[in-house]
Parts: sequence; C-alpha cells; structure tokens
Amino acid sequence: MKLNIDGLLVYFPYDYIYPEQYSYMLELKRTLDAKGHGVLEMPSGTGKTISLLSLIVAYQRTYPLEVTKLIYCSRTVPEIEKVIEELRKLMEFYTKETGEKNNFLALALSSRKNLCIHPEILHANIVVYSYHYLLDPKIADLVSKELAKKSVVVFDEAHNIDNVCIDSMSVNITRRTLDRCQTNVETLQNTIQRIKETDAAKLREEYRRLVEGLKEANVARETDIYLSNPVLPDEILQEAVPGSIRTAEHFVGFLKRFLEYLKARLRIHHVVQESSPQFLKDIYEKVCIDRKPLRFCAERLRSLLRTLEIADIADFSAVTLISNFATLVSTYSKGFTIIIEPFEDKTPTIVNPVLHFSCMDPSIAIKPVFERFQSVIITSGTLSPLDIYPRILDFRPVTMASFTMTLARTCLCPLIVGRGNDQVAMSSKFETREDFAVIRNYGNLLLEMSAIVPDGIVAFFTSYVYMENIVASWYEQGILENIQRNKLIFIETQDAAETSMALEKYQEACENGRGAILLSVARGKVSEGIDFVHHFGRAVIMFGVPYVYTQSRILKARLEYLRDQFQIRENDFLTFDAMRHAAQCVGRAIRGKTDYGLMIFADKRYARADKRGKLPRWIQEHITDGSLNLTIDETVQLSKHFLRQMAQPFRREDQLGLSLLTLEQLQSEEMLQKISQIAQQV
Amino acid sequence: MDEEPERAKRWEGGYERTWEVLKEDESGSLRATVEDILFQAKRKRVFESHGQVRLGMMRHLYVVIDSSRTMEDQDLKPNRLTSTLKLMEYFVEEYFDQNPISQIGIITTKNKRAEKLTDLAGNPKKHIAAMKKAVNSMCVGEPSLYNALNIAMQTLKHMPGHTSREILVIFSSLTTCDPANIYDLIKTLKALKIRVSVIGLSAEVRVCTVLTRETGGNYNVILDESHFKELLMYHVKPPPASSSSECSLIRMGFPQHIIASLSDQDAKPSFSMSHLESSDGGPGLTLGGYYCPQCRAKYTELPVECKVCGLTLVSAPHLARSFHHLFPLDAFQEHPLEEHKGDRFCQACQGELKDKSVFTCPACSSVFCTDCDLFIHDTLHCCPSCIHRQGTS
Repeated sequence: MKLNIDGLLVYFPYDYIYPEQYSYMLELKRTLDAKGHGVLEMPSGTGKTISLLSLIVAYQRTYPLEVTKLIYCSRTVPEIEKVIEELRKLMEFYTKETGEKNNFLALALSSRKNLCIHPEILHANIVVYSYHYLLDPKIADLVSKELAKKSVVVFDEAHNIDNVCIDSMSVNITRRTLDRCQTNVETLQNTIQRIKETDAAKLREEYRRLVEGLKEANVARETDIYLSNPVLPDEILQEAVPGSIRTAEHFVGFLKRFLEYLKARLRIHHVVQESSPQFLKDIYEKVCIDRKPLRFCAERLRSLLRTLEIADIADFSAVTLISNFATLVSTYSKGFTIIIEPFEDKTPTIVNPVLHFSCMDPSIAIKPVFERFQSVIITSGTLSPLDIYPRILDFRPVTMASFTMTLARTCLCPLIVGRGNDQVAMSSKFETREDFAVIRNYGNLLLEMSAIVPDGIVAFFTSYVYMENIVASWYEQGILENIQRNKLIFIETQDAAETSMALEKYQEACENGRGAILLSVARGKVSEGIDFVHHFGRAVIMFGVPYVYTQSRILKARLEYLRDQFQIRENDFLTFDAMRHAAQCVGRAIRGKTDYGLMIFADKRYARADKRGKLPRWIQEHITDGSLNLTIDETVQLSKHFLRQMAQPFRREDQLGLSLLTLEQLQSEEMLQKISQIAQQV
Repeated sequence: MDEEPERAKRWEGGYERTWEVLKEDESGSLRATVEDILFQAKRKRVFESHGQVRLGMMRHLYVVIDSSRTMEDQDLKPNRLTSTLKLMEYFVEEYFDQNPISQIGIITTKNKRAEKLTDLAGNPKKHIAAMKKAVNSMCVGEPSLYNALNIAMQTLKHMPGHTSREILVIFSSLTTCDPANIYDLIKTLKALKIRVSVIGLSAEVRVCTVLTRETGGNYNVILDESHFKELLMYHVKPPPASSSSECSLIRMGFPQHIIASLSDQDAKPSFSMSHLESSDGGPGLTLGGYYCPQCRAKYTELPVECKVCGLTLVSAPHLARSFHHLFPLDAFQEHPLEEHKGDRFCQACQGELKDKSVFTCPACSSVFCTDCDLFIHDTLHCCPSCIHRQGTS
C-alpha cells in the first residue's frame, strides 16, 4: 500500500498495516526532519524492521540530498538476514509499483570474510551489518570510516548497546595473551631482519613517512571524509611519530620492554586497582616508557604490519591488542580503570592473573557515531526506561517514544508470583535464596505450570550457579522427577555446542507433543538471541530478578563512575539493568500478534513500583492490580483460564480494524485519533 | 439459548474472575473480548453450513476418549472423565438421531496404550452401555495419540469410498507418548482421507493443531462445560464431503414392522439376528420385528446392516430426519439494529430486540433476535414465520 506519512509518500510492501507501525513511521519521520537522534521502543513482532526500512528508503528517494545512506546495524547474523529479506520485499514492491528499474544498492556484511568492500560501500544506498563494524574501533576503521555524513544510522535490538560499546573499548590481558604477544614480537623481529637484508629501501620509506607524521589521516579527518576512530585521538594526527619508535627495530624493542613490564605487573598476589594516570606514572618510573610513544603504539604497529606486508593479521591479534591497550591507556585519563586480579573470584586457589583494562563510559565508543551522522536511531523491543539511554550514552535525542502493541485479544499475560501456597515469600534475593522453602516453592511453581502449559516452557534463572544449586536441590526433593512426568527437561550450559544441541531437542519435543522445559540463564545465549515462537514458548518463567553479579570489581568501578559522572545512583542502574534483562527474557515468548504466552515473574520484588515501572510499556499495561503478588494456586487458575481463552479460534478478520488495518481503515479520522495515542513521548 | 452452566459450589469454583467479564472496555473497542470473537465464530459456523454443499451422509466416526491421568482433573464436574462420558452419551444419541445410516466406534487411550471400547456399529445402546461401564475405570498414565489414531485408521481405511471417515479425539492431556513419529502417521491419515478433529480439554497443543490442519478437521479447546457440549454437538452435523470422494448408489432396504398376531397359530417367536451376537441376553425371543426384504432375516431395531446379506436396512423416517442437512434453511440477513425499521420485537420469542444486530429471513422478511436466529438454524431448521404463512394461505 502507499501511505502518506506526514506529507511523505511511503511505499509499504504489505496490504495491511499495524496501527503502531504507522505511528512509528510518523515519529521516525519527525526525527529525520529534525536531523536529530531518536530513541524508539516498539515491541518485537510488530514489524519494526519493515517500518524502518520503508520510511527511510522513501525519505532517501524523496530527499536524496538530505539523506544519502542508511546504515542498519543489527546484532546477529540471522537478524541481518531477516532485514535483508524484508528489504528485498520492499525493493520488489518498488519495482512493481513504480515500474522503473530499481537503482538502489543495498549491501549486507554478515561475516568477517567479506571485509574488503571499500569501493562498493561508498556507493551503496543501504548498508546492513553488525554493530561491531561501527562501534568496535578495530573493525570500524577498516569498514566504516568512509561513510558519508548524511547517513541515517539505525541500531536495532539496541537494548544492550552500552555493553557493546564498553566491550569494544575494554581489553583483558592474561598470561596467555602475553605469551602469544611474545611470539608475535619475535616473528616481527625476524621479519624485519629478513626484509632489512633484502629490501632495506622499504623500511627507509616507511621511516620517511612516519617523520612526516600522519598528515594524510589528518587531512582526511579535517575534510570530513573519515569517521573518527576513538582509538586514534585528534592530537596524534597533528604530531609526528616520536623518534623513539620510528625505526622498526626500535619499535620492536619498545614493544618488548612494554611486554616485560606487563608481565611484571601480572606477578602479583593481591588485587590492584588504579587509574590510567597512575599506570602511566608507574610505567615511567619502572621502565622509563613515556606517555607519548605509548599513544602512537597502535598506529605505529599498523604501519609496521603494512610495511612488512603481513597478510594474515589474525595471527597478530595479541600484539594488536596490546598496542591498542597502550594507546587507549595513554589517551584517556578518564572513563577507564585498570584492575589486576591474581585469580578469578570463583577459583581463588588457582593462580590466573588478569589485567582488566575496563571502559566504564559507553559514550566514548559511540561518541564519534553520534557526532558524525546526522540521525542515529536507537530502537528495540525493550528500551525502558527510555530516558536512561541518552544519559549513559551522552547524547540528546529529538524524539523519545514508546509504542504499545494494539491487540485484538490480550495475547500476553504477565503474572507476578510472590508467594507459595504456604504463603512463604518467593524471592531470589541473597538472604533467602538458600532457603529451603523458597527453593521448594520455585520447584512447585514449575511443577504446577508443567502440568497445565502445553508444549514448551522456558524458565530463566539469574545465574548458572544459582540454577545449578536449585536444580540439585529439586533433584534431592524429588521435584524434578515429578516434573519429568509432565515434560522433558533441557538445560542450557556454558558450552555453546551443548546448548544448541539441547535447544534442538527441546524444539523437537515441543513439536511432537511430548512437551519440554528449557532451563536457562538470563544474560545467556538463549535469553538474548533465540526466539520461542508459538508452541516453542507458551510460558516463560523468570525465577528471581536477574541482577548482575554485584561483587565484581569491574562493575563496582563502573557504578562509581556512573554515579560521579552521570549522577545515576547505583541502585537505579542495577535495577534498570536487571529489568531490561528480565524483559528480554519474558519477551522471548511473544513474537507477534498471533502468538500468545504467559509471562511469569516469580519474585515478590517485581510487584514493587520501582521494578514494575521499569518494564516496557507494552508489558506494563497488561499487569493489573489483580496480577500482583499471586500465590502458586492463583497463578495456575489464571494461567489455565488464559490458555483456554487463547486457544479459541483466532483469524485475521478478528484483527482487522483493530490491530490490523487496510489503507481505508487507516485513513479514517477515528483511527488516526487512536493512533496518536499509541506513541508515548518521554 | 444455552442454559447457564450448572454452577458448582462457589468454594469449589477455583479463582474465577467474574467481574472481568462485566468490565467495560476502557480503551474503546481496542481490546475486544474473546467472548465477542467467539460469538462471531458461532455465527460463522451457522453461515458455513448453509451453502449448497454435498454432505457425507454415511459417516464412519471413531471417537477417541483420552483416559489418562489428566482426566481426573476436577475442573469439569465431578471430574473430566465422568463429565465427558455423560456428554458422550448424549452425543451418541444425537448422532444417531441426525445420522441414522452412520456408524460410530469408541476408542480409549491411557497408560501409553489405546484400546477399542466398542467397534464401529450402528446401534447406540451398545455404545452407551459400554460408556456407562467405563465411568468407573481408572485414569492412569499418559495417552498415546499415535496408538489411538492407528487403531482407528486400521478399521477406517477399509470403509468404502463414498462414506466419510472421521476421527474425533477428546484430548485432555497436554502430552502424548508415541512409539513412532506421529508426523508420518498424519501423512498416512491425510492420504487415506481420514478427517481428524480434536476437542481439547486443557489448552492448545501443537501436535493437535498440525494434525487437524493437515487432515482437514477442526480443533477447538473448551472454555467450560456448556462450551464443551456446544463443540461436541457441532460434530453431530455431517461434514461436507470432499469433492474427490466417490459417488455411488446404495441399495437400501425399507422393511416394515410386522407383528404376527397371537391368534395366528403358525407364528413362532424367533431371535433377532442382532441379538445373536450380543451376549448380554436382553429380550431374546420376540414375535414381531423387521424382516429384511432380501433374505428375510429378522431384526428388532433399525437402522442396521443385515448380518446375512449386508443390505442396509433403514426406515423412511430415518432418512427424512437427515433431510434438512441437504436442504438447509437459508442464512438470515444481518443488519445493525439502528438501521432496522418497524417494530422492535422478535417474531419468534416476542422479546424486545436489544442486540446490536437483527436478523431477517430472506423469504418472509420476518425479524429475529440473535438467540432465535441460532435456535432456528441449529434446532428447528425451518423458519417459523414461513411455516405459519403456509398454514394460513
């Protein structure tokens, strides 16, 4: 159908449209008009992707000078493929409707193999790839630096974007890394030696170039061709590479010295935490390494690798990592912390020293993106509370909106179970998590649900350790045996192969009527990337509130930083983080309007306003006062009723006019009125 | 039209939220209640059956009754099994009432096995007796959908092509324990043109969804007892015959009931052929009966298939009863109440028209309310107003 979105002609490749899609496009259009950034939350399964694509493509066609390129970032390969599929449909629709040959070029980068794409990417109108191509400074430099300023960047499934940013800037160094780095450096030395004998001119040429400094890069940045790389700060560009690391041998020597220093630092018996300036002072005192050469380390290594014509850069990942660390630590005096731990928390007896160079400020990695591109859209099914994202990513959005899901029938049923039938409060909080009664009640809840929910149930625990404890306890109490009478049980483990095997069998059991339960962990692979449509997930049970492990030093440092820099209280952030993961988990069950599922929050703390209020609006509005703090019995009754209601025949005609619109229905005054209420501005 | 379902004692009722039914929709019509959708479905069902479609008049139906552990659940009173069997008795009677020349058989499944309770037969009494006995049986273990379907299939596949082959599963459990891949069996059923319908007592189970979709049956899940009954009664009506099913002329006998007068000295009491098999005694020797026009075998009840020559014996009223399936009453036209002019009373019940739509008979233009519309189409099968006119003219 052809839509008129606020004066813009949009081709929409389907005959029907959801009201919220229309509303979403309206907000999107406003964001693009204002040339600003936006944060938009819309439930999954309501056609976010096609709405985004249709509107932005239409915008590009109508105002080719305003917006030249769409950069669509998604998280995983299957998601990227989904985007491409939708895009293909849209393009076919364009060709059919306008009759002209399609002159749009879209490009998808799904795997690392296709990295060498410079000429094409410059001309493509739409680029679809993974977050890392834009955020990870190591890859972004190769792929994304030549993208035009007038691009629209979309981050889909962006509820974890801050963690992606932080991960992309953080470096962990273990003894293994250092050992591999040692080998790298030796290989470098040998190669230099060999080249010196055969082709000394090449090295001299490189030297000459380095004297001239990184003028080239500087010119490029000033003329606005490149996306700036956070690893390569501005000041460096104006300076020449310092003399101490200008020749290849000197640089290798320098690297060796740096390595020795790091090795010495890892030989510790107690935890050390220090800031970047402290680290720099120490390194100067111990091995006389100045700040300046450190800053050029990453750039210098890159130049050397180029000169030596080393094709397989992957082998040199260790030394690249170290040099990146050197540059980062000497560049940023704020926003990072260095923690050296002699052993892991879980295994205090095994010596395994790690140097965490941890980024605490996600805005550092994403800053160039916000500064460079005129519109950046952050969107996901779960972005609540919306206002926290602009704060932690440090940008000013022009639109922030949350959309509800219009439904012809209430197909989601969030229930908060707070007590067992014995009235003992259920909670995963630290003081009571070992409590026998709590574990038994959790077991009873799962047992009762396994008897009334058809096909698949997915249960999430707060951590692997907690899951192991509970399952062991259930086994001893005989609960597990009773559950197995109703359904098969599968468990997610930290082993990816094992998990995917379990998942496959789980789906098989759901398919052929055996019924199954998947026990998994919030923040795990299952909770983030895997959809449980229809019968694969008729109920999701969230055992406890999935708080992050708060004793970790990295987290503590980050919380402190958030408090000092952004005035976000520790507790607010922890709750926000826990709730977004809980929302992600329970959101796995509903992947569209014809789907239905129970969402069971098994912890009495969810009933509190501060927790509930942080759930996405589309879940929140279905939590009634009557579904707070239920007992197991009440939950079972409500669930039974819900499942029977949902099993009644439901056809497309039932949705039409309510949650699914034809073009005519869309244009009616009354409907437009209703649509304006779907979006809630923050 | 439907009676209020018999309410159990309030304290047995579990946590019901009766107030939610009454709740007004604050967000306009945005959240249409499921009840509303159900009502639409009901109307649609009436509509659907009103095309001029060919119906399978001779039906062979196997009813599979789940007798697994879950049938002891007490959400139907007094428990699922008793409630189901009671409804089934009613169903069997209705079934033979409306489909006199059809047959039914009953299969139960529990403990991972399936067994025939009764074979395919045209006599309601035997089935009802078997079911009365089954009320006291234990419900144990898991059902096996595969085994149950397989047993039914073994018999149904030998049924002639001009008859319908149907299976109705009453499925209480949420799981099934199968010895082999059920999807292969579904393919076989589809190839044999066996229609499988399922009535679920708990919730929607995926494998049933696929099973019914593939074989062209219906899948419904009950809300409560009255809904259960309604869904069951829906299966009383013969399903449309698939266009690929064979057509053939069937020889039928219409024997008259002959009672030899007691004064006749030659008259000797004789056994009915159908009683020879049944071991449960019953009235053995009788004077009168129906005599097969072909071989003179005697039967006390109709309809029956002659044991001797295989002729289908029916009485004329039986055939007449299935007549309305072939010439159903036309669907009434639906109008919104606001557009309706004239007096606001239903022609049938004389009640005031209050629903949002009214129904008009296309033949006599009489106006009816929703309930009467359903009653006329479901039960009466003729428009009372039209009949009335015919009578006066």
